[in-house]
Formats: sequence, C-alpha cells, structure tokens
Amino acid sequence: MADLAAHAVASPRPGRSFRAGLLWVVPPLLVLLVLFFYPLSLIVREALAPEGEGASLLHIETVLRSREFVSGLYHTVVIAGSATAGCLVLGFVLSLVIAFIPFPGAPIAGRLIDMIIALPTFLMTLAFTFIYGSAGLLNGLLVDAFHLEQPPVDFLYSQWGVILAEITVFTPFVMRPLLAAFSTIEPAQLEVASSLGARPFRVIRQIILPASLPALLAGGSLCLLLTVNEFGIVLFIGAKDVITLPMLVYAKAIQEFDYTSACVIAVVNVVLSLGLYGLYRAIISHFGGGNAGRV
Amino acid sequence: MLAGSRAWRLAVWAVVLPLFAVLYGLPIAVIVLASLARTWNGALPGEFTLLHYAEAFRSDSLDALVTSLMTGAIASTAALACGTWAALALRRRVRLPARLLEAVFFVPSAVPSVSVGLGLLVAFSQPPFLLNGTRAIVLIAHFVLVFAFTFGNVTAGLARVPAECEQIAESLGARPFYRLRRVTLPLLTPYLIAAFSLSFALSMGELGATIMVYPPGWVTMPVRIFALSDRGAIFDAATLTTILGVATLIVLTVLSRVSSRAMLR
Amino acid sequence: MVDITAQEIERCAPLDGVRTASRTSGSRIGFEDVSVAYGGLTVLKSLTLTVHPGEIVALIGPSGSGKTTALRVVAGFVRPSSGRIMIGDRDVTDLAPYDRQIGMVVQNYALFPHMRVEDNVAFGLQAQGAPRDVIRQRVPECLAMVGMSAYGKRYPRELSGGQQQRVAIARALAPKPQVLLLDEPLSALDTQIRRAMIDEIAKLHHDLPDLTVLYVTHDQTEALTLANHIGIMRDGEMQAFGEAQALFRHPPTRFAAEFLGRANLLSVGGLTAAGPGEARVRFGGAELLARNPHNLPEGRDCLLCVRPHHMRFAGEGAVANALTGVVQSVQWQGDVHNITLTAEGESLRMTCVPMAVPPALGDQLRVCFDPSEVTLVPEDAPRG
Repeated sequence: MADLAAHAVASPRPGRSFRAGLLWVVPPLLVLLVLFFYPLSLIVREALAPEGEGASLLHIETVLRSREFVSGLYHTVVIAGSATAGCLVLGFVLSLVIAFIPFPGAPIAGRLIDMIIALPTFLMTLAFTFIYGSAGLLNGLLVDAFHLEQPPVDFLYSQWGVILAEITVFTPFVMRPLLAAFSTIEPAQLEVASSLGARPFRVIRQIILPASLPALLAGGSLCLLLTVNEFGIVLFIGAKDVITLPMLVYAKAIQEFDYTSACVIAVVNVVLSLGLYGLYRAIISHFGGGNAGRV
Repeated sequence: MLAGSRAWRLAVWAVVLPLFAVLYGLPIAVIVLASLARTWNGALPGEFTLLHYAEAFRSDSLDALVTSLMTGAIASTAALACGTWAALALRRRVRLPARLLEAVFFVPSAVPSVSVGLGLLVAFSQPPFLLNGTRAIVLIAHFVLVFAFTFGNVTAGLARVPAECEQIAESLGARPFYRLRRVTLPLLTPYLIAAFSLSFALSMGELGATIMVYPPGWVTMPVRIFALSDRGAIFDAATLTTILGVATLIVLTVLSRVSSRAMLR
Repeated sequence: MVDITAQEIERCAPLDGVRTASRTSGSRIGFEDVSVAYGGLTVLKSLTLTVHPGEIVALIGPSGSGKTTALRVVAGFVRPSSGRIMIGDRDVTDLAPYDRQIGMVVQNYALFPHMRVEDNVAFGLQAQGAPRDVIRQRVPECLAMVGMSAYGKRYPRELSGGQQQRVAIARALAPKPQVLLLDEPLSALDTQIRRAMIDEIAKLHHDLPDLTVLYVTHDQTEALTLANHIGIMRDGEMQAFGEAQALFRHPPTRFAAEFLGRANLLSVGGLTAAGPGEARVRFGGAELLARNPHNLPEGRDCLLCVRPHHMRFAGEGAVANALTGVVQSVQWQGDVHNITLTAEGESLRMTCVPMAVPPALGDQLRVCFDPSEVTLVPEDAPRG
C-alpha cells in the first residue's frame, strides 16, 4: 500500500499521551546529566573561574599562549589530518580490493578488520615497538643484512610513528561504511561500463567514487574525531616531543596536579571534538544514514 | 569484476595482500610471539617460553583481568539498560524535542575519554558526590564512554523491528508493557546482544578515562599493560595484551553465537 | 490480478444477502464524518460510512486513495483530525488500539517470528488475560477453523505465504472480536492460492455470521465475491457506495464504472426520456435505449456503460441497440474470446464464449446489447 498514512505511526492529532510518553526519557536523561553533563560543566567552570580565585581570563590566556599548548594543538591537528588522509586512501584501496577483486582470503581479511575494531588501540603501538623499534624486527633484519652499527629505521618515536599507528587502527572505521556503500553498487553497472570499454581507473573515478562519496565523507569525519580524541597510542609511544591535547590534559592533571590548566585545555579539546562530531552528524543526515553507512 | 585481465588481478593481489598482512597480520602475530619469547634480539625471538603466562596468572595481572572483565560487564549492562530505555523512550518521535534529545544522548561518544575522566575527577572529588578513589568512579567512566554506542546500536535495532508485528499485538489487546515484553524486546534481542558486545569490547580496551580516575585497588588491564610497558617490561605487556585480546574475542564469539541463535528462532 | 470473468461475478450472488442489525448480535463499525490530515495534506475527507453488524464492506480503490487510512483509523493506529469512530455503541475515537477489541490481518501476515504458530494464536487471549484452560481449548479450535491444526508447533518461517495468512486469520479471530479488519489480506499471495483463500474467507464468514468485516483491497474480484457493500475510494473520498451487485450493474460515476469491472463507456448525447427509468440517447448515427437509474435530465450529455460480456452479435434483422463496428483485435484466452471493435470512433471491448471461427481483423461486425443491461452514467465533474 502506498497510502501516505500507511507508515506514519505518530498521530496527526497529538493528544496528552504523546507528551506523557516523552516523560519516559527523563530517567536515562537524569543519569546522563549527573554522570556526564554535570562533570562537563564543572570542567568549564574550573576553566573559566578556578576555585578560590575570581573569574579571570588572564589564566586562560596564559595557558592558551603557552608553548606546550600551541605545540599540542599543532601536533593534534597535524596528526589527525595526516592520519585521516592516510586512513581514507588506505581504506578506499583495501575496500575496493575486498569488494570488487575478491581474493581467496577475503573473508578472513574481513574478520581481521572486525577484530581490529574490537581490540584496544594501544595493541598496535605495542606491536610497532617490536616491529619498528630500535631493537625490533625490522632493524634487526637490516642490521644483520647490511652489518650496520646503528639501527637504520628510527621513526617510531616521532609523530610519524603515531600517524602510522593511527592509520592502521582507524582504517577499519573507514572501511565499514565504504564496504556498505560498495555493496549497493550494482555489479551490472560495472559490467556495462567495462563492456563499453572503460578501463578500471575510469570505472573507479566515474562510478565507484561518486557512489561512495558520502561514505568517504562520513568515515573521514569519524576518523578525524577519533584521531583528535586518541590517547592510548600517543601515551604508549611516549615520545617526549609528540604531545597532543588529550595527552596534555593527562599530563597537566595527573603528573603536575594543575587541574585548572588541564580544564582549560580540556575545554578546547572538547569544543574541537564536538565541532568535528557536528560535522560527522551533518554529513550523515545530509546523505541519509543508509548511504553514509552510520557506524 | 573490476580487474579485466587475470594479470591485472594478480598484480593487485600481489601488492594488496602483503600490505594487508604487514599492516594487520604482522602486529597481531608479533604480539603473540613476544608473549612467548624469552629474548628477542634478532629478526625472530631467540627462545620460546611460557614463563610470561605463568607470571601473568600468578601476579596482580590476574586481578587486572578480573577487574577488566567485571568493569566491562557491569558498565555494559548498565549502559545497555539505560541506552535501551532511552532508545525506547525516543522511538518514532519525529518532532524537534525528541531529535534534540537524541543528539544529547550521542554527545558522550564525541568527547575525548581523557576529558571525561578529568570531569569525573573534578566533579566527584567535591560534595555532593564524593566518589574519588572508589571503584564506582571507574565504572561510571566506562558507563559514560560506552553509553552512546549502546544507545545508537539499540536505536538502529529498534528501527528494524517490524512495526506491523507490534501493531498487530496492540490490536490483539496487548498493552504497551505486555507488548514490549512479549514482542518488541524478543525481536530486539539480537541487536541488544550486538550493542552489549560492542560496549564490552570498548570497555575492555578503555585507557584514557580509566588512567585519570582509577583507585589503587581497581587496576584494569590496559592500565596494567601501560604500567608494564612504561617500566620496559614489554614482553609481559605483550603477554597481558594477548590475554586481554583473547578474553575479549572469546566473550564476543560466545555472544555472537547466542545472538545468531536468537535470530534464528 | 485475478480477473474472474464478469459472468462469474454475476453468478455469485452476495453471500447471504444484506443482513440487518435486527438479525444478528454483532457490532457495527461507524465512521461519522471522519477526516485525516497529515501536515497540510488531507488523506481522508469527511468519510461517513456504516458497516452493519455481520456485514462485509469492501473498500476498494487505487493506491493512495485513503482506503488503508480508513481501516487504520478504525484500528486506532491513525487518529482522525475530526469526526468519530464507533464500534458497536462505543465511541472508540480516543481509545488506544488495545482497548478496541478488534481483529486485524495485514498484507504481509506480520506473524510473530519468535513464537510458534500456537503461541501466535494464543497471543491475543493471553494479552487479554484469558484463563489458561480457555486458551487451551480456543487455540486448537481456531487452528482447525483455518485448517492449520497440524502446524501448531511450527515457526512462521517454516510456513508458506498462504499458510502464514491462515495463521494470521486464526490469530485475529482467537479472542472472538466483534469486528475484523482485513488490510489487503490476499495481495501477497499468488493467483491460485488467492482464489482458494477467497473461498476460505467466504466460508469463514458463513460460519461466523455475527462478524463485522471491513475489507480493504485493490482487487475487484475479492470485493465483488466477498462484500455485501462496496465503497469505491479515490483521493481520500468515497466516490461511490452501494450494494455490490447494484454498484456493478449501475455504477453511479465514470470512475466507479471503470474501476469496478472495466466497463465500456461511450460518450452519448441528446438524452430523451423513454418510459419508466429508461432513456433514449444518440451515439453518432445510432439511437440507443438504456436504463437511466440516476434520472439524468433530458438533453444531457452522458456516458453509456456497457459491460463487455453484455455485448452480443446481432443478426440481420431490425434489432434494438445495434451498432456496427470494425474488428481491431481478437484474443483467445482459453475460456473466452476478447474482441475489440471501433464504432463511431470509439473503442469497444466485448467478451464472448470461444468460437470455432472467430471474426477476422478488419471485419465489419454488427453487435447489440439489451437495454436493461446498459446504464447511463453522468460524466464526472472536472477535477482539480
């Protein structure tokens, strides 16, 4: 039945029951208000008007102008941007292969992707220590092969180490919506294009890429959010000069007991994250959940 | 489909498969190998040993595993109850207030975990809620961090429960709670299990908020692993990571079995 | 679409004639000036309709005509923006669906997939708090009623579409509702099973004469076979309502004539009265005699409604209502021949018993019809 009304359940004349129904949302909302929004508001209060002092913007200015904050913000943005770009490229290529050039081990690859999503992020960093660390597998191989004095590979304890680890960990979050989007492309469409003489790259550019654009945007913005918020990877790499905003919040609060500065930085971090989250939701709702493959 | 010729296809595989193996297969293999290695100075571990595992199950690390499992189970159960409640309350409400409330429930998933931890630390170190230094604060942190994901998953599941079944139940005289218990929740079960699985996995790997708020007696696996790795005991760290990973995957596998049985029925 | 021939339709008299409230103890369904609007869009426009106790009323119309909305208003899933819904003597407009005591069957069966067949059937009784022994007795009874006794322990996914729909009907009837709402119940089934199910529903209603049924369908065969009265819906409005046979024989509007039984409609003019309830009209050069049940005024241009199966071959002599046409197509459909003619620039379809030697394309054919079987229909007012 295509009657307009067939699927509408909400009544066209909302009675008392409608508003009363919405009251059911109060208990979980209350839980969240106490456990999440109340603490969040205290962070903002502490940042704006530290306990025992009056409201002063001087302190905020000091923190925001400090070298460690500027460098933290810089690293956060650079790492998030580079890692997201890497995730998009890698995720697109891997998804393309899994979806359209199926190979014998494809199901296992799919499982592995799901597993990576379920496992803690720092696992990758720890593994990188064994693979790319100064006494790791790669350096061991190279030193043995070329009889070197010093381990030649030394990028792990820089921001490149963080970026590589984040690319590895977060690429699956791009692949999920992409694979969902690819599965909606009709094989017949690709076959027709190929039969008309289009080469693979042309097919990718003209058919696959446009169809997967919403998923790419959604996956990309989600990736940005996750990389801006990532803490475990940065902590485990533990490079002195690679400090991101979450790392800075941790260092200020736990190592220096400077809660006020921690709160100021946290507010900046939260605002940045909420902005990215807004972007992600906007993309999802603009393209409709189905196309963008909500995670 | 895409690659026209066989040679082309083989070329693609030759590039992508090793890439995949190096990126995803190798790290996992390396962690497992390291957990079994006595020394590792060359390309491969020198000697294999089960010493790290014996150590892991003897020391505080076993406590950490139990702590993590309990934290994950409690926080995920609470999040499932709360998230399902919220999802049911907002179901099929298309007006603006409901849409805004939905956005509110999603906000915790956007906030960095360290900031969530900092907030809890600030909020619950002062009256009226004095929870700092208790286990409860860790559970709360995990609950807050997984809640939005549970809410999202249950909301998505509810959208797939056929409206017609529920309406027929109503026409047959089922009042809202009876219908919820006998029709909606049973049809929702697979999605509830999936939601629980995701939040359990997230909780098992949570580090940022936990490291901000954990009390001495309630050390989770990730915190313990970081402590070991920070001390340079990377083989023990690898062992615990393996145990954590295996424990998580076992729980997820069991849950997905249960879920597929629920789906079949 | 099942298209049983029109002869068949006329053979099937309405089930038991029209019942009246005095003969049965069932409940009526009453729409009292019911409108439904979503946003600015009115999907049901002041519908007033009574389904008498024990009667089957079919609402028939194309997609988007508002017929399903009308049914869902009775079920309580759509609230009217104005007007009242009555079930029996109760005003149920503000009652929740679970307080209305109705049975409902929908197109896609909507059986509870996680319950066995018997639990599906027991659901309504359990929800309404029936005692255990009543349920134990009633469930097998209902399964037997629809011939599904052997399937109680199965799960819905193990049944065919037709079987699932039988279970859905048993489930709806188990709590003994006074009112049954059927929303395109047979549309998801294939032709063979659908025919069998029409017979089943007819038999079921024969066994449950008190049951008041509102039947929504887009299939005229189901409506004509099962319903006492038929309402034809279009654009949220009831276009025509009447006793099934009368509506078929004397459609009150062009839309009713076309939608119910695909009639030939000839544009005719110069209406003059000719005897009681009859009128003479001009069709090109020919003068035709027809029934005028709607008392169209003299001189009016109108439509002449001729059912394809009422057209006959005319012999040589002088016959009333004779037309000469040119054969445009001849189709053999097994039990009938369909012939299309053009006469006076209009196309005419006729069906007749299969012929050994059918007319050839381009042949001149003289056809006629009985004045008592053709009806004058007013041209619809311009819409919009």
